[in-house]
Amino acid sequence: MADTTFDYETTLEACARRDERAFQALYNQEAGQMLGLAITLLGRRDQAEDCVHDAFVLIWRNAARFQRTLGSGRAWIHSILRYRALNQLRSRGRTVELDDDFIERAADDSLQAADLLEQQSEQRQLRRCLQGIERNRRHPILLAFYRGLTHDQIAARLATPLGTIKGRIRAGLRALQECLHP
Amino acid sequence: MIAQQPAERRALIGEYVLGLLDDEQAAEVRALIEQDEEAARMALDWERHLLELTDQLPAQAPSAQLWPRIQASLGIARTPDHSAWGQWWNNLLTWRLTSAALAMALVAALAPGLWQGETATGYTVVLQPPGETAQPGWVVHIAGDGALRLEPLMQDEIPADRSVQFWTLVDPAIGPRSLGLIEPGKPTVISAEQIGEVQPGQLFELTLEPAGGSPSSRPTGKVLYIGRAVVASVN
Repeated sequence: MADTTFDYETTLEACARRDERAFQALYNQEAGQMLGLAITLLGRRDQAEDCVHDAFVLIWRNAARFQRTLGSGRAWIHSILRYRALNQLRSRGRTVELDDDFIERAADDSLQAADLLEQQSEQRQLRRCLQGIERNRRHPILLAFYRGLTHDQIAARLATPLGTIKGRIRAGLRALQECLHP
Repeated sequence: MIAQQPAERRALIGEYVLGLLDDEQAAEVRALIEQDEEAARMALDWERHLLELTDQLPAQAPSAQLWPRIQASLGIARTPDHSAWGQWWNNLLTWRLTSAALAMALVAALAPGLWQGETATGYTVVLQPPGETAQPGWVVHIAGDGALRLEPLMQDEIPADRSVQFWTLVDPAIGPRSLGLIEPGKPTVISAEQIGEVQPGQLFELTLEPAGGSPSSRPTGKVLYIGRAVVASVN
């Protein structure tokens, strides 16, 4: 889970100054969550570890390019992980053929008692917005996120024409951004 | 062509972040993000919102080899300090405790509460095939600083298309947590951060999984070895 007390931006700036302790702190903080997503995207633990390895190598080498004025440090780290994972998926030309049912549950915003406090906070903003859009727009967006599928692959997996899928994803993202940035 | 209208541009950047675009379009958007700060902000903003979806997945403990591998790739590797372990291994008391732990494992399994009053400076876990009591295959030592060392006591034959995965179970309601893949017959060290706090009676197991490890966050294959943590004072 996101740790709101960890200062990703300052840690990345320390990495840019070649502070190895900061780099290790970042690894201890984030590698587990990164590996969780990489396993979901790639379907294999060994390839997912390769991906997390590559991401941390890139994070260390490119830390000086991070600027806190452009956004969240944690988002920057995950953009690198995602970039590596997608490259790996594309280069092997094959996607994960596993049950996709979990992705709708992951995006499910239905309230649990413990979540009530969290409800107003930013923590669940995206999931709340996702629940506000039609399933046929939401589902392809989740397939892209959790399985790293392209437009073509989503169209094939959902047996829906490519143009229709592109239109639904675009409409879904437009609706999301209106919900996130009213 | 990249849309000029901000809402269309933001949606296009969202598609780029998700990895939906074909190579040509993706290259165009990547170039835009590199040149245009507003576009870079939009990309990180999508990425930040999407972290909510990442956080819905359980974190997975990387294998013990991953961090040293990253250090080695970057040429920042420092020699790990095994001196504490060396001392520990040479400590005769430890050896006695290890064999005593064989008998204690059963007691701890039946009455884990018995050990809670101890001043825990370390733990020992003897891993045996399920249902066996005198065939230790691996032994786990958790030092006072929380680092774990997994030592083979025998050489396992594992099919080439299979991997052995190490797990722990603290709370049955939460389920087992992966501690990564291990190589049969080779000792493995796992950091205290990855293990978390160990409870007396905590279960550890090795399972046979498809090559590369379980495709989910749960064991899917046969349990090869299993055991519970017992307190081992190593002062």
